[in-house]
Amino acid sequence: MIETLLTPLHYEYMVKAILVSGLIGGVCAFLSCFVTLKGWSLMGDALSHSVVPGVAVAYIVGLPFAAGAFITGLLAALGMGFVKTKTALREDAVIGVVFTAFFALGLLLISLNPSSVDLRTIVFGNILGISDPDIWQVVIISAVTLVVLGLKWRDLLLFCFDPNQARSLGLNVRVLHFTLLTLLSATAVAALQTVGACLVVAMLVTPGATAYLLTDRFGKMLGIASVMGVGSSLVGAYASYYFDGSTGGCIVTLQSAIFVLALVFAPKHGLLATRSLRHAAS
Amino acid sequence: MSEPLSIDVRDVTVAYPNGNVALHDATFHLAAGTICALVGVNGSGKSTLFKAVMGFVKPVRGSVSLGGLSLREAQRRNLVAYVPQAEEVDWTFPVSVWDVVMMGRYGYMNFLRIPRAEDRRVAEESLARVGMIEFRDRQIGELSGGQKKRVFLARALAQRARVILLDEPFTGVDVKTEEAIVELLRELRSAGHLMLVSTHNLGSVPEFCDHVVLINRTVLAYGPTDEIFTEENLARTFGGVLRHFRFDESTIQKHDGRAVTVLTDDERPLVFGKGGHLEYSRRQEHEKVVEERAEEPDDK
Repeated sequence: MIETLLTPLHYEYMVKAILVSGLIGGVCAFLSCFVTLKGWSLMGDALSHSVVPGVAVAYIVGLPFAAGAFITGLLAALGMGFVKTKTALREDAVIGVVFTAFFALGLLLISLNPSSVDLRTIVFGNILGISDPDIWQVVIISAVTLVVLGLKWRDLLLFCFDPNQARSLGLNVRVLHFTLLTLLSATAVAALQTVGACLVVAMLVTPGATAYLLTDRFGKMLGIASVMGVGSSLVGAYASYYFDGSTGGCIVTLQSAIFVLALVFAPKHGLLATRSLRHAAS
Repeated sequence: MSEPLSIDVRDVTVAYPNGNVALHDATFHLAAGTICALVGVNGSGKSTLFKAVMGFVKPVRGSVSLGGLSLREAQRRNLVAYVPQAEEVDWTFPVSVWDVVMMGRYGYMNFLRIPRAEDRRVAEESLARVGMIEFRDRQIGELSGGQKKRVFLARALAQRARVILLDEPFTGVDVKTEEAIVELLRELRSAGHLMLVSTHNLGSVPEFCDHVVLINRTVLAYGPTDEIFTEENLARTFGGVLRHFRFDESTIQKHDGRAVTVLTDDERPLVFGKGGHLEYSRRQEHEKVVEERAEEPDDK
């Protein structure tokens, strides 16, 4: 029994996959608290798709994938900002137009160069086959993100909660906005390796959304989300060995299951709790 | 404690990116120790002027300065605080009353925003001052309308601001809390603070504001409430959108005398006397006015 349970750990690629997933899961979860509170879920989805052409070009010309991804991610963010200020379109339409444009360009580039990039790797992730240089990029991105969030989370929280107050205290709101956007692109790039472009947004939203249901204190929310992000990613990557299924699919399914549990059983905001409250009132 | 601060708004013109000029050549000056109402219809540029004084929008022309300091410098010194409208706040946000008041102290904290003993002391004192200390661990959504307002007022106090801008502070607030807030504003005025209150509630203006700024795309008039808050000026400000009830045109007759009752829903009625001068709801504090206006022996 124990022998069977330990089998995945005998393979170096599995151990790497599990640990890298855990790291990315944790970083994404930490950031997901800000993303859900700021209402940037759609933005996270958009950025994770917008980095695809950058990743494709980077692989084609042999640059670090993070560099390329970063550039197109920021270009997309700037593009959205530009279209939004120049037109009367609603924000969701702007985001929809810009990110699909970037994603389509990425798909086109990949299909033209099938030898240097694998479409499946980018769209669905391939953590089991991650190369050592790619691991280093993920580790560096994660470390920088965690340091910035660790140092400035209070400012970012104020920016999410009450940007006017931040402004009236003389904080540079534009810098805070840009910081959060940059961190979002960076983690989207890292998460791309694990779960692929399609599921990045789950890693960037679900832990925060789940934690939000379970507490109404930001500190606890950060803790719950991080534990959930790390835990579900470790377990999901590990379990994918037995299913022989998609790692990203495993991790995100697990996170969604936890979300559903929280939705039903959360002590204060859960469905059961609100129902019994209503019963008590009637 | 820092110096009392005045507000100087000079020829401020604000245009939005779509070319819409929301406010032009707005000029007014307010001294410290003032509660000033900002009065105008929706779309009159009231909130734009508010934003200009907070530095949220950059005027294309003109300047805002506080006691000789530039707006940026005043903000850097934490001198300006803002009490937002209830609708602007996300009440489901996972922060407690204590967290919100602490946000007023950010400007005094170091790079990491870790509160010191002094920050905690000031936050506690501010919460106690608005009578909300026992709610410090509540999530902000669990408070009543009036309590919410008091928490944000406590944040302004914790910031030790000298200029406080309040946006529609009495919307959704019960009468008791309204009185408590007005009382607090009066105390702050005596301590040399300057409060700028945006309100659509005309009747409450003479109750607690000693100055008014009337706005319709520009500043039409500003100064002491007694002089500026006249029927004529208000007609200019509101351009006929105000609901009228003129006693001389109404069915009220001499025999009604003072037994006239005026009822309104959520707004205080604003009542003008003969010749269009302002009537106050209470005679105390306004004995001089009563004295001056007396025409007949039994008027008093």
